[in-house]
Amino acid sequence: MSALLEVQGLTKRFGGLTAVKDVSLSLDKGEIVGILGPNGAGKTTLFNLLTGFIPPDTGSVVFDGESIRALPPFRIVKRGLARTFQLCRPFKGMSVQENVIVGCLGAGQHANAAAAVRALELLAMVGLEHKALMPSELLPYGDLRRLEIARALATNPKLLLLDEPFAGLGTAEIEPLSGLIRELHREQGLTILIIEHKLREFMKLVLRVIAMDFGEVIAQGAPDAIVRDPRVIEAYIGRDEAHAVA
Amino acid sequence: MLAAFTKKDLIGAVIAVAVLAVAPLVVKSNYLVGVLTVAVIYGLWAASWDFMSGLTGRENFGYALFIGAGAYTAGFLDTAFLANPWWGLPAGVVAAVAFSLLLGFPTLRLKGPYFALAMLSGAAILQRLMLIFWEKTGGEEGLYGIRPLLNSQLGFYYLVLGVTLISVLVLVLLARSPWGLILRAIRGDEASCQAAGINVTFYKIASLAISAAFGGLGGALYAHYQLQVSPQLFSIVTTITVIIMVYVGGMGSIYGAVGGAVLLTLLTELLRDFGEWRLLIYSLILILILFFLPGGLIAPVWRRLRGMAR
Repeated sequence: MSALLEVQGLTKRFGGLTAVKDVSLSLDKGEIVGILGPNGAGKTTLFNLLTGFIPPDTGSVVFDGESIRALPPFRIVKRGLARTFQLCRPFKGMSVQENVIVGCLGAGQHANAAAAVRALELLAMVGLEHKALMPSELLPYGDLRRLEIARALATNPKLLLLDEPFAGLGTAEIEPLSGLIRELHREQGLTILIIEHKLREFMKLVLRVIAMDFGEVIAQGAPDAIVRDPRVIEAYIGRDEAHAVA
Repeated sequence: MLAAFTKKDLIGAVIAVAVLAVAPLVVKSNYLVGVLTVAVIYGLWAASWDFMSGLTGRENFGYALFIGAGAYTAGFLDTAFLANPWWGLPAGVVAAVAFSLLLGFPTLRLKGPYFALAMLSGAAILQRLMLIFWEKTGGEEGLYGIRPLLNSQLGFYYLVLGVTLISVLVLVLLARSPWGLILRAIRGDEASCQAAGINVTFYKIASLAISAAFGGLGGALYAHYQLQVSPQLFSIVTTITVIIMVYVGGMGSIYGAVGGAVLLTLLTELLRDFGEWRLLIYSLILILILFFLPGGLIAPVWRRLRGMAR
């Protein structure tokens, strides 16, 4: 297997705060990997650095053999690295299908008719084809997540970054969405990197976990090893004790 | 190409254009021809303001800059360089587009109201420059002695009507193409657009330039109608007039903006009999329209008519 994403020494400071500190990680083609960490660990900032929404201070990001550091977000998307947002951001005032068509156009499809057909295919893949003509702002939250994923898939990604895909969802919605992500990984052969808090679903889904705290990678490994890692336990539970002592 | 329109849309457009074209033949009055010429030029401005601002949601409060740039360019070419007056039309377009790129690159990255304010300042600066360089620009009085493009006033009206018709057709087709979809997506959420692989900056600047091109074209036509240009063209009043026309027409529809422009221009003239009460009544009517029909008048009414006719 060859590395699809290779990150070396990535650092981002906001004033006095180092949000992401010397992060190095590598993703192989076809992997499904999770990023775990408490709030404020720098997970979303890391995503923003990888996708060009925030420029890094130092470090390198090599995707599919080429440096994508300091490229604008839309160019990174065109190279095959797509993302979803933690908070769903549909294009208000547009139908569900039109939302996905924009992604198809972003991927370089120019004909309206072809983009519309492709958008319907993608909506069928995420299970929203019967809601294609609905105004996107009327979708319930779980469907908005699926729409976000369909729009990201429209750009023909090789690597999909999902920022807390289960956040705000009820248990009844988590299971099927988890199934969809698994399907994208197994059947579409998509490489996937997920940020998540909800441990149970997450741990069943991913094959490898990268744990972060205070902007740094503190541990990497198989899910069951990670939850028993003392550094990870400390990051999640030990902090309260530290506060209590101080 | 015409597949983007329904049959009813086409019938509606043909009727609207026919009414505008036949009116001066039925009521033979130079006054009416003059009013309609101004109304249709405002229609061109309102449609092109709507193309950029209505679709992307970035309200351009400095649109008068493009009108003034087009008008002054046409005026200079004609009075100072004595060029063939027809050159004023393409030159007006080029000048307006040049200003849109000059202002668009630094200002379109701004968020929220800052773009509106930056454009407003741009127009205000140009208005001041016209006064500061009064020896060249004629100062408050502006440029006068501009030659008409055609000898017949009615002929010029038909020229303006034809130019506006083609321009609006181009703008509506663009708005209904993938381009328009992307502009509406930018209105929805810029970050999502980037995540969908859209070069947001390019689309914003290009749509501003397109909007400016038609603004400059209208400005050049206006200069050759008034036969003079004044720095008042650059004022915020010009921009606000155009924006109100778009609101009354219904934002984002483009054809509605043309309807709003014609309606409000005719209304202004009809209210002349009220003398000094005119502005008060005009404003009251506007407030009532915007209060009861926040989505505008022309486009929503047309959508309803189209829905009723089977």
